[in-house]
Amino acid sequence: MSRTVHSMLVGARDVAAIVPGIIPFGLVAGAAVASAGFGLAEALGMSLLVNAGASQLAATSLFAEGASLVVVIGTALIVNARMFIYSTSLAPTISPLAGRLRPFLGHALIDQSYAATMTIGRNREDVDLVHYYIGSWLCLASVWQVTNVLGVLAGSFIPAEWALDFAVPLVFLAMLVPTLRHRVDIETSLVAAFAAAVLVPLLPLQTGLPAAILLGMAWGAAREEQTADREVAE
Amino acid sequence: MSERAAFWLVILVLATGTLLLRSLPIWLHGTVPTPRWLQRLLRHVPAAALTALVVPGSLYTRTDGAYAFAPARILAAAFALLVAWRTKNMAITLVAGMLALWAMQAAMALIA
Repeated sequence: MSRTVHSMLVGARDVAAIVPGIIPFGLVAGAAVASAGFGLAEALGMSLLVNAGASQLAATSLFAEGASLVVVIGTALIVNARMFIYSTSLAPTISPLAGRLRPFLGHALIDQSYAATMTIGRNREDVDLVHYYIGSWLCLASVWQVTNVLGVLAGSFIPAEWALDFAVPLVFLAMLVPTLRHRVDIETSLVAAFAAAVLVPLLPLQTGLPAAILLGMAWGAAREEQTADREVAE
Repeated sequence: MSERAAFWLVILVLATGTLLLRSLPIWLHGTVPTPRWLQRLLRHVPAAALTALVVPGSLYTRTDGAYAFAPARILAAAFALLVAWRTKNMAITLVAGMLALWAMQAAMALIA
């Protein structure tokens, strides 16, 4: 077996344990496309081209709620701003190894491929990291496409009384909780929560949502600045 | 613009924007620095964005643009928060939250 194939397989194996976790997420994302009134082409186009679950779900449900296109796209892009952080953090490790693939590697950057590459893959001596990273993404991305398709097929048959739209905040909640590690994260979250509770019903076209996100981010950044200043002063 | 065309526009713009966000730092590594204030702000995206996406759907139901408090959702979401915190598992959180919502709705139908 060539080193390239071996590296991709090891990458895929290292993320295989996460697969059960993304199945319900993919199903919900697909079902959201169906409940917004669209079909297979849109679900597949979105999961292949955007390839970032949280933003797909956010964009689809906001679109279905009649938010303005600027808010739909703006909110989804803010959700994906974390990809920029991952990319910045991964670059020193992977860019020097990437060669001709370098301009294209970004598309394979998802939460799990980032985490696996930075925590497990980097410490493996038997793989080349670029193919390890691509392999981890291919494993999850193929499950992602399949579950999105299944979700859109099943979604059109689910009755409204089941209140399946509640699955959307639940998925985000499950993603949120592990990110709340420090005091400043919890404060950021509380500010965003309060702002969203007040502003979302108040402001038109779902503009309350990006406003709440920006307020939370600003709070987090300001608090961090304070703490940093204090450390310098001491 | 038809609904379908508008949705495809969202897909294409979102795909392009996301590709740039993901690709530029890896692509341009070593050529352009990221300002510190931007890094500091971006660090708080996950907590702020995910919270804002959780809260409205956990507090309110929305019919024809009007928001109404939904006690069943609030209680179910609080339960799901507890489950998410203890298990750190999306599938379990999803199932527990949906079951809690259905139980609350059934209980409230009984009371009413």
